[in-house]
Amino acid sequence: MAQESFALKIERLITLAIEFITFFRRSMAAMLFHVPPRKQFVHHAVDAGVGSVVLVILLIVFAGMGLSVQGYAAFIRFGGHDLLGTFVGIGGIRELYPVMSGIIVGARVGANLAASLANMQISEQVEALEVMGLDPMRYLVAPRMWAVTLMVPLLCGFAIVIGLGASWATAVYQLGLNSGTFMDQVAALTTWTDLAAGLLKGLVFGWLVAVIACFHGFRASKRDGAEGVGVATNRAIVHASVVCIVANMLLSALLYT
Amino acid sequence: MISEHPPRNLPPHRVHSPVVEAVETAIEISDVSKSFGHNRVLDGVSLKIRKGSIAVMLGPSGTGKSVLLRCIVGLLKPDRGQVKVFGEDVAALNPHRAADRAKLFAVRRRIGMLFQDGALFDDMTVGDNIAFPMRMHTKLSEAKIREAVADKLARVGLRGVEPKFPSELSGGMRKRVAFARAIALEPDIVLCDEPSSGLDPVMASTLDELILHLHQTLGMTFVVISHDTAEALKIADTMGLLYRGKLLTFGPKEEVMRTNHPGLRQFFARETAGPIKVV
Repeated sequence: MAQESFALKIERLITLAIEFITFFRRSMAAMLFHVPPRKQFVHHAVDAGVGSVVLVILLIVFAGMGLSVQGYAAFIRFGGHDLLGTFVGIGGIRELYPVMSGIIVGARVGANLAASLANMQISEQVEALEVMGLDPMRYLVAPRMWAVTLMVPLLCGFAIVIGLGASWATAVYQLGLNSGTFMDQVAALTTWTDLAAGLLKGLVFGWLVAVIACFHGFRASKRDGAEGVGVATNRAIVHASVVCIVANMLLSALLYT
Repeated sequence: MISEHPPRNLPPHRVHSPVVEAVETAIEISDVSKSFGHNRVLDGVSLKIRKGSIAVMLGPSGTGKSVLLRCIVGLLKPDRGQVKVFGEDVAALNPHRAADRAKLFAVRRRIGMLFQDGALFDDMTVGDNIAFPMRMHTKLSEAKIREAVADKLARVGLRGVEPKFPSELSGGMRKRVAFARAIALEPDIVLCDEPSSGLDPVMASTLDELILHLHQTLGMTFVVISHDTAEALKIADTMGLLYRGKLLTFGPKEEVMRTNHPGLRQFFARETAGPIKVV
C-alpha cells in the first residue's frame, strides 16, 4: 500500500514536470516570438506595477528602518557605526529590496494571476478562446508574463529608493548619525554594479513569479471546481516565494564572483 | 408512438441525397474512442453530419455528449479514430506543434461554440464579449462592429445590455449573450452544448427558432447537444442517441423515429424502465 502510494506520488511528480516543461516551452515561445496584445499588457502592467506601489512603500519603509537599526546594533560593538551607509547600501540594493520586491509581487500579483487564470480555466473561458482560434498562451499568458517581468525590476528600483530613504531617516533622526557621513558611505562604496545586480535580480524574480503563477493558474481544470482556484493561488504564492529565495541565493553567488 | 412536429420546408442543400453527401459533409467522425483513466467515455462512435443540417445529439448526463463536441473542435484528442471537419482530421493535429496548431485554429475559425455555462469573459462587457471575435478576426471598423453587436443581441432578444458585465446578467441572459457571441462571425458550424438549459420554455423556444432561422437563411450547420426532446423534435433534421459512450442510433430524424429504438422511446417517454439505466 505504502509502495503504491509512493509510486503514485512519483507518477504525479513526473506528470507535473512534463506539464511544466510543456507550459514553459509554449509560454516562452508566445512571449518571445509574438508582440503581446497592447491592451492586455498595459492592463496587467498597471495592475502589477502601480497596484503594488502602496504595498511596496509600506513594507520596504519598515524593512529599511529595520536594516538600519540592526546594522547599527552590529557596527556599534566595534565602533564602526559610520560604516552603516555602506552596509544598508550594499545589503539593501543587492539583497533585501530585490528579494522583498519579488516576494511582495509573488504574493500579490502572483496570487492575482493564478486566481484569474484558474477561474478562466474552470469557467471554460480559456476553451472559449481556443475555439475562437486564438492561442491562450499569446493572448492570456504572454501579456501577463511581460507585464510582471518588466514591472518587478521597476518596483525593485523604487523599493531601493524608498528603502535607502527609510534607512537614512532612521540613521539620522533615530540613531543620531551624521547625514553627510551616511550619504558619503552609500555613494563611495556602493557602485552601479550593485544597482545593476539588484535590478537584474528583480527582472529574474519577476519572470519566475510570472511563470510559476501562470503555470498554476493555467493548470486548473473544470473538474477542480471552485477549490481549484484556491489551490492554484496557494501554490503560486508558496512556490513563487520559495523559488525567489533560492534564486536569490544562486544569483548572489554568481554575481559576487 | 413518439409525437413529431410537422415537417418543415427544407432548403435544397438540406435534402438528404447520397450523391451529394461526400462533398457536402461538414463533420465526419469515424470510430472515435476516448477514455479518461479507466472510464471509457466514447466507444467507437461514427457519424456524418451534412453541411447545412441541424444534428441533435440526445442522451442522459455523463454519456460523452460534451466530450464528443470537444473532440469535434479539437479541445480533446480522441484515443482512437478520425474527426474530420471540412475534410481536415482535427484528431490527427498536435496542438503543441506550430504548423498543426495553425491548421487547427484555421478550422476553429469556421466554428462557433455555445458552452454549457456560457464561458463569457468576466472582465469584458457584454458588448466587448460579442465584439471580441470580430475584433480578432476581421478588419471591420468599430462602428460596424458596434452595429453587428447590437444586431446579434437583438437576434437573441436582448437590447441595450452592451455596457453590462456578465456578472450583472441572469443565467438565461448570459446564455443568450454567449449564443450571440457564438454566431458573431456567422461561422459555418455552430456547436451548442445544451442551449436550452437554464432558459424558461418561451426563451428556449425563441432560441430554437433562432437556430432554425440562422440555418435557413445563412445555411449554418448546427450540432446541438440536448436533453430536451421537444427541442430535438422541433429543430433536428438529423438525430442521434448517445448512451455510455456508444451511439445507439443516428440518422435523419424521420428515419430514427421510424426505427422506434427502445432507448430513444424510453428517452422520449421519460420512463425509468428500458435500456437506459440510471445507475
